[in-house]
Amino acid sequence: MPSYTIRVNNAEKTVSVDADTPLLWVLRDELGLTGTKYACGKGLCGSCTVQYKGNAIRSCTLPISSALEANITTIEGLSPDQNHPVQQAWMELDVPQCGYCQSGQLISAATLLSKNNNPTEDEINAAMSGNICRCGTYTRIRKAIQLASSKLDK
Amino acid sequence: MKNTLKRRNFIKLTVSASGALVIGVHLQSCMPKKKIPEVYEFSPLIKIDTDGWVSLIAKNPEIGQGIKTALPMILAEELGANWNKVKVVQADYNKVYDEQWAGGSYAIILNWDLMRTAGAMVRQVLVRAASQKMNLPIEELTAKNSNIVHVKSGDSLPFEKLIVEASQIPLPEEVEFKSMDSFEIVGKSIPQVDLDKVVSGGVEYAIDVKLPEMVYATVLKNPVFEGGITSYEDNEARLVNGVVDIIELNNAAYGGRLIAPNSPNFVNGIAVIGKSTWATFKAVKKLKVVWDNSSSRKENTDEIFVRFHDQLSNTSIERKDGDIKKAKRSAALNYEAVYEVPFLAHATMEPMNCTVDFRDDFCEVWAPTQNPEALQEGLMKLFGLKPEQIKIHLPRIGGGFGRRYYVDYAMDAAILSQKTGKPVKLTWTREEDIRHDWYRPGSVQKIAASLDKEGMVIGWQHILANASRKTSLGREGGPAGTEIDEYDFPAGFVPNLQFEYGHVLSDVPLGQWRAVAASANAFAVHCFLDELAFINKMDPIDYFLEFLGPKRMVPVVGDYEFDVERLITVVEKVRQNSNWDTALPKGQGRGFAARKGAGSFIAEVVTIDTDENGKVKILRVDAAVDCGIVVNPSGAKAQVEGGILEGLCAALYGEITVKDGATVQSNFHDYQWMRMGEMPEINVEFIKNELPPRGLGEPPLPPAIPALANAIYAATGKRIRKLPIVNHLVD
Repeated sequence: MPSYTIRVNNAEKTVSVDADTPLLWVLRDELGLTGTKYACGKGLCGSCTVQYKGNAIRSCTLPISSALEANITTIEGLSPDQNHPVQQAWMELDVPQCGYCQSGQLISAATLLSKNNNPTEDEINAAMSGNICRCGTYTRIRKAIQLASSKLDK
Repeated sequence: MKNTLKRRNFIKLTVSASGALVIGVHLQSCMPKKKIPEVYEFSPLIKIDTDGWVSLIAKNPEIGQGIKTALPMILAEELGANWNKVKVVQADYNKVYDEQWAGGSYAIILNWDLMRTAGAMVRQVLVRAASQKMNLPIEELTAKNSNIVHVKSGDSLPFEKLIVEASQIPLPEEVEFKSMDSFEIVGKSIPQVDLDKVVSGGVEYAIDVKLPEMVYATVLKNPVFEGGITSYEDNEARLVNGVVDIIELNNAAYGGRLIAPNSPNFVNGIAVIGKSTWATFKAVKKLKVVWDNSSSRKENTDEIFVRFHDQLSNTSIERKDGDIKKAKRSAALNYEAVYEVPFLAHATMEPMNCTVDFRDDFCEVWAPTQNPEALQEGLMKLFGLKPEQIKIHLPRIGGGFGRRYYVDYAMDAAILSQKTGKPVKLTWTREEDIRHDWYRPGSVQKIAASLDKEGMVIGWQHILANASRKTSLGREGGPAGTEIDEYDFPAGFVPNLQFEYGHVLSDVPLGQWRAVAASANAFAVHCFLDELAFINKMDPIDYFLEFLGPKRMVPVVGDYEFDVERLITVVEKVRQNSNWDTALPKGQGRGFAARKGAGSFIAEVVTIDTDENGKVKILRVDAAVDCGIVVNPSGAKAQVEGGILEGLCAALYGEITVKDGATVQSNFHDYQWMRMGEMPEINVEFIKNELPPRGLGEPPLPPAIPALANAIYAATGKRIRKLPIVNHLVD
């Protein structure tokens, strides 16, 4: 099997996997970063979202051989101790229910705010439209993004 | 004396005297230089250590319903613990905790008194110990913030200074509960435990478990229900890097149809074992299988629903009050309508998976299950194991909604671990998850009402025809099912009333789905009541209130009475909160429905906008809820928000169809779910009272469906009698 060196949460990692192995499974099975979740395998639900080249991407459909050019930020690397504004806002509003989709939601939200620190409600809805929550946390997520945005403004 | 308490039945423990004991469990053994606190176990649910930390056991599985927070809150309340010095510890499955299943909105209902009793017992021994130590009368002492306080003098002793003495005092036979006006934890919005871990990816779900020597597995099951395997060719699959083995799961022969109640596992398939999940996912696509579909009915949804329609006239009577025929003859108007609801999948975000280490006659399981009881029983029956040979861990679960009431995936994982002699993590692909679900039964429902001159209902006939959950699990050999129960609404409200059930046999696997039959029946009943309101040219809420009649207790069946006042209260509240009586612009509309479920009363109003193509945008949802005491308002509100979302999603998009005996849908592109932009603001108000808390997982869901359909009528004049709504919007 070929060997690949990727940069995850600012640390270099070398793994031996097939070239078509999705980044998701490298993170989960090879590197033990299980915060990134499998839910659809087809880029339909956003549970596997990570940040790559400043964008929120679906790691379940990105082969490792295409993820070599930049640092990959997973939920574990979003902040050292849950102090990213989106994480703080999520905790303040007690957002999660089952929690399974939340890593992807948080990464999408953090990515949105990194590009637009004062998004409108429509911009939030559009940026988050790729992330399904099955439990019904959408309204709290929307409020949490607005709260995080207000924290960033200050 | 050590451990004797552990084996004792917890119910017994809470009602009979028994001594607390010291056990030498070290919670912080990783800190060598610090003095290790001694831990005192006062009951299977409560431990206190010499540093003052209170450990409370969360006995039920957390599926996102907030129970890991709510039950320990009740314990902490009665104990008088300081919540900031509480550690919540998730229980494994253990008979000592009595029932640990999650379903039917029952956890709070069943555990409210139990948690209070367990907390109060330990509080009372702490008070007694303090009384001895402080030389003060028991009546003058109270527990507060993990201290026993003498209110008059202000003197106090922290729990940790009392546990040695308290551990010598037998738990009391009788307990006195705190008065509700002194509650300091229950009734407050407490952020869920593990919140910090959830937002940093640190929670270990079953799908995240990794064990030494573990291999990965996935499975391809015959997509055709009731199908088997004729032959298969796996050469290509075995060539995939990392594939270790291919194993046939001949489940029909292995465990029989129903291994144990709620433990069905008869779908045959082929499992791939590999060194990574990806290896198994890749290889499973390369299997070439000749399926044996000779036992399949090879059904199609259209044909199934034709049989449902036919069966409306071939029914058994499930309830009969008065004489509906007589009512029909004397009626000023007879009116009827037929409603249809589809099959629905659960599509939990965490797909079915399970990790099992079954070696040396010991079976250790990490299961995302709502039903550890069924899991243990299934393992015992399947492998001839004794309870002491099974250990079931209950990690946090990525959604349940009733799917995880059945433990088929865990049985497969156990079979594979036994066959490979290794720990196995079995992960189903999303496609398997959608295609091998236990679906919410679809149904056809006809309601016929007889109205008097004033438009009030004097006769009500509700006929439901479908294939039932109960029959599906045991198929022909199982108990005959019905999906309409004698206690369903509006039983007790109409003098002449008849419920009938038309039973159809089908291969489609059916099971519990959030709110179960009410998820389907509420649509028919509350859309029909809305139709009756408009026939009578009355406001739907006015008509509903007249239908309910005066505030009273309505006898329904046996001891079960329906408290009409509580329902009226939430109806009036939601009327006010939703601005029901104000006009809306053209194209907009409001719909209403109110019900009782799991002991709780909920009224909902959905407000929508429509465009010229009839496309629906939900503007807001208002809900008024009386669930008795609200244990954790933040968590309770989340349950209401979640139930409403799920109801709206089901109403708009939810549909599983069947072709040639197999499910057509396979993933989120064809089993749609609402996205954030479609989810409106939800305004929830809880009625304040001191009645015992009742269920909240299910009851918010059913009213959302008819409320949305009724809003569409109000906005467009179009009646939705068949779900999902999206099928009506095709231009």
